[in-house]
Amino acid sequence: MTWQTVVGLEIHAQMSTETKMFCACVRETGAEANHNICPVCTGWPGALPVLNAEAVRRAIRAAISLGCQIQPESRFDRKNYFYPDLPKGYQISQFYRPYALGGEIHFPREDGTDAVLPLVRIHMEEDAGKSIHADDQTSRIDLNRCSSPLLEIVTEPLPMSGVEAANCVRSTREILRWIGVSDADMEKGNLRADVNVSVRPTGSDPLGTRTELKNLNSFVSIQRSVEVESARQIQVLEAGGVIRQETRLWHQEDEVTEEMRGKEDSPDYRYFPDPDLPVVIIELTDIERERSSLPETPASRRVRLVEQLQIAPREAESILARREFGDFFDAMMAAGLSAASASNWFRGEVLRHLNELELNLDDYPLTAESIAAVVKSVEEDRISVAKGREILQQSIADGRSPTEILAGTSEQVSDESTLMAWVQGVLESHPDVVDKIRAGDARLMGFLTGQVMQASKGAANPRKVQQILQRLIQQS
Amino acid sequence: MSSPPSLPPRDATVGEVTRWLGEHRCSARQLIDGYLDFLEHLGREIGAVVETFPEQARAAADQSDQRRAAGEILGPLDGIPFTAKMNITTEQGTSDASSSILKGFRAHEDATAVRRLRAAGAVLTGKSNCDEFAMGASNETSCHGVVSNPWDRSRVPGGSSGGAAALAGSHGWAFHLGSDTGGSIRQPAAFCSATGFKPTWGRVSRRGLIAFGSSLDQICPVARDSEDCRQVLQVMEGHDPLDATSLTLDDETVQPISRVALVSEGFGPAIDEQIATAVQAAAGQMADQGIEIIERSLPHIEAANACYQVIATAEASSNLARYDGVHVGARESSKDLQSLYETSRHRGFGSEVRRRILLGTFVLSAGYREAYYTRAQAVRDLIREGIDQVLEECDALLLPVSPFAPFPIGERIDDPIALYACDILTVIANLAGVPALALPCGFDASGLPIGMQLMGARGSDHRLLELGSRWQQWTDHHRALPDGGAA
Repeated sequence: MTWQTVVGLEIHAQMSTETKMFCACVRETGAEANHNICPVCTGWPGALPVLNAEAVRRAIRAAISLGCQIQPESRFDRKNYFYPDLPKGYQISQFYRPYALGGEIHFPREDGTDAVLPLVRIHMEEDAGKSIHADDQTSRIDLNRCSSPLLEIVTEPLPMSGVEAANCVRSTREILRWIGVSDADMEKGNLRADVNVSVRPTGSDPLGTRTELKNLNSFVSIQRSVEVESARQIQVLEAGGVIRQETRLWHQEDEVTEEMRGKEDSPDYRYFPDPDLPVVIIELTDIERERSSLPETPASRRVRLVEQLQIAPREAESILARREFGDFFDAMMAAGLSAASASNWFRGEVLRHLNELELNLDDYPLTAESIAAVVKSVEEDRISVAKGREILQQSIADGRSPTEILAGTSEQVSDESTLMAWVQGVLESHPDVVDKIRAGDARLMGFLTGQVMQASKGAANPRKVQQILQRLIQQS
Repeated sequence: MSSPPSLPPRDATVGEVTRWLGEHRCSARQLIDGYLDFLEHLGREIGAVVETFPEQARAAADQSDQRRAAGEILGPLDGIPFTAKMNITTEQGTSDASSSILKGFRAHEDATAVRRLRAAGAVLTGKSNCDEFAMGASNETSCHGVVSNPWDRSRVPGGSSGGAAALAGSHGWAFHLGSDTGGSIRQPAAFCSATGFKPTWGRVSRRGLIAFGSSLDQICPVARDSEDCRQVLQVMEGHDPLDATSLTLDDETVQPISRVALVSEGFGPAIDEQIATAVQAAAGQMADQGIEIIERSLPHIEAANACYQVIATAEASSNLARYDGVHVGARESSKDLQSLYETSRHRGFGSEVRRRILLGTFVLSAGYREAYYTRAQAVRDLIREGIDQVLEECDALLLPVSPFAPFPIGERIDDPIALYACDILTVIANLAGVPALALPCGFDASGLPIGMQLMGARGSDHRLLELGSRWQQWTDHHRALPDGGAA
């Protein structure tokens, strides 16, 4: 018998708002422990939550981008449980009436075809703090993360492999990043997933009993846990056993899953509407405002680059890789460059610099405008391509702006008669080389160009020099 | 300037004291000194006062006098003493909600209502005793001890705002902040012959009120008369950016109330006959003054107390989860997390609070939730709709506050059902979110105070208070003071 693995996901993404979900504390990762806390997020007696409007705006953007139906009225509930990193003794979450229903995630199958994972819902909630269990038997609690705004994206179950499950989370990450809703960085813990795994005989319709693997924080752990857990389930079933509905722990190092608690032991969260928070009302105008400020989607940007701007698909992909790449490319065009030269210089120079310097575009010292100024000088023959590249490199090295360096650079000499004099001088000193070229050794043209550039102390326009060299050698 | 001849009479209202201050018949400093003396002696004797702030209060009084001398007073409450219930956070002193689990807790921050009153010049002089986490109707569950009724010290003052009402019932000059979740300001006001007002839910910010049943809780004034409550409400009320459920108020034109409905269920067999008679007499006095009195039945009122017990305890079970011994709350040393929770919470909470947490946890539990919590919410909707309907035919409802007179200390404390019966006529206002005003309306044969209450539509707070003021001009029940403890 062959088996089919079915996976459902719960993806938790921390929204990249300035402040937390229900208070004015700064939401940042990496601050000193218990630095960003206040009476509200630590549940002091008398403190009350107030919903962060910016979090709702981001949540709306996510729901639009994932194709959900946004609910005109939603509500926050309390999920009650005791844990030291949950200072109120409850988590504020949308259980009964989430703000977004339906929607879908597009993801690539292993064979490269596109597939769709339908969503059940998205809801907003607050995060808990962190417990740090030390070796000396003490536990420390850091509440900086407590009450950070989260989106929980809950999918339907769909047959898929471990690789494809990771692809789904990857696609979600790309969208959330693209629209600026979440940094969605798994390493920093602001993107996590719970995975529900079941298996059924291939061709069978009803779903098998599922197990849940919680808090997976890397693509590898998502992929491998699905593979390992489905293999375990198949082994149990083939040996005549049954799968219990339970929550299991994933051990990344040993690549095994371990029973944590059964369904009957699962906590009773005693959800009820939070009386401290009014109904969340999302008007059509709120949705339209977010929709109109959403960035171009990757798909429509691809169409624009390839079909409208005639950029080769392979070149377009590197510009599409991140939203800020395309934005920079657009800024280069807005500064007066043609699509072709913006593409060439972005890929040839900007991406190379980022690679070499290991920088994000956000930290890149050059602006699209200053690069465009240099490129225009090249295109107007005032400086050489090599000189243009050198100016950019120099600007990165010494911090002066490219335009400043450009201003201090003498323009290259393109005047025919001046160039002719230099070229003729070089030809006369190297008759043997001229002969060899005429005999078919075209590579030596470079040598002659170099000699002319040297004679001009680098001032000659190399492109024109080549033209003149070619003409003279062929003529005589 | 010659020194003032004396202090205002002991029964003087805030309004009257304001006139004394305005006419320089006494200074705020003299007033505060005199009031602190009352708090330290009678206030402590009856257990109503937990702590006082003499230094800060005297300094604030001196500043008030300087403002007055410069002609820059901040309003009618400038220089007036007030106290806050132990479940209302204050920058000064402790705010432990009368619970061992919070013993010594300093909030370091004024509740919004307290902040607004202090900004209007009112002087915080101390903190008043109450039932633990405001759970009780007799002020017998406090970790600070029992409060005595100033009219008969062997009897309870009512609860949970027993300290605040006992102070208001014993002495004028001041107002007191309490809270009302199911009757906690009105029932002690009635027991102590004071005037207490529960605003429309959301009218006063709950920021700084240590939560019990959040959808029912309101911070409330208790004072000598309705006009004093109105002045205090006017300063406290209105939207607070720190409480998402606080209301943004429109300018309210106060249309005088002209038609009042007696609620027939308030005069049934479960109600003490002398109380029913006194409230009916009050209705007669209103009729004599030209107010039309009709009689109406409130649908579903018989289900109100059960509904209230389910919703209030459900919310309390969640609100009190934060007192876990890890963050806020006394921590008992323990070998593991589970026992840390169990011992901290078992030792920190009193038995009544534990009982309500258990009940609330039960009614929200899987398998019982539908039968209790969900059903109670549906009943709550019916009660709200019922009261709204009756209030379309009249401006206010009139009924007794308590079905019986103040009872002896210890009589009901071991019988929760008997204790919960205190709430049968008050909880409807909290369930429906409507304002309710408790007014003294006489004494029974044993000389124990009787209170009546007016309820109006949501948002008609100032109309109710205006009717209360008018009625108090026609009558003088609210002027009575118990013997003893002269200021």
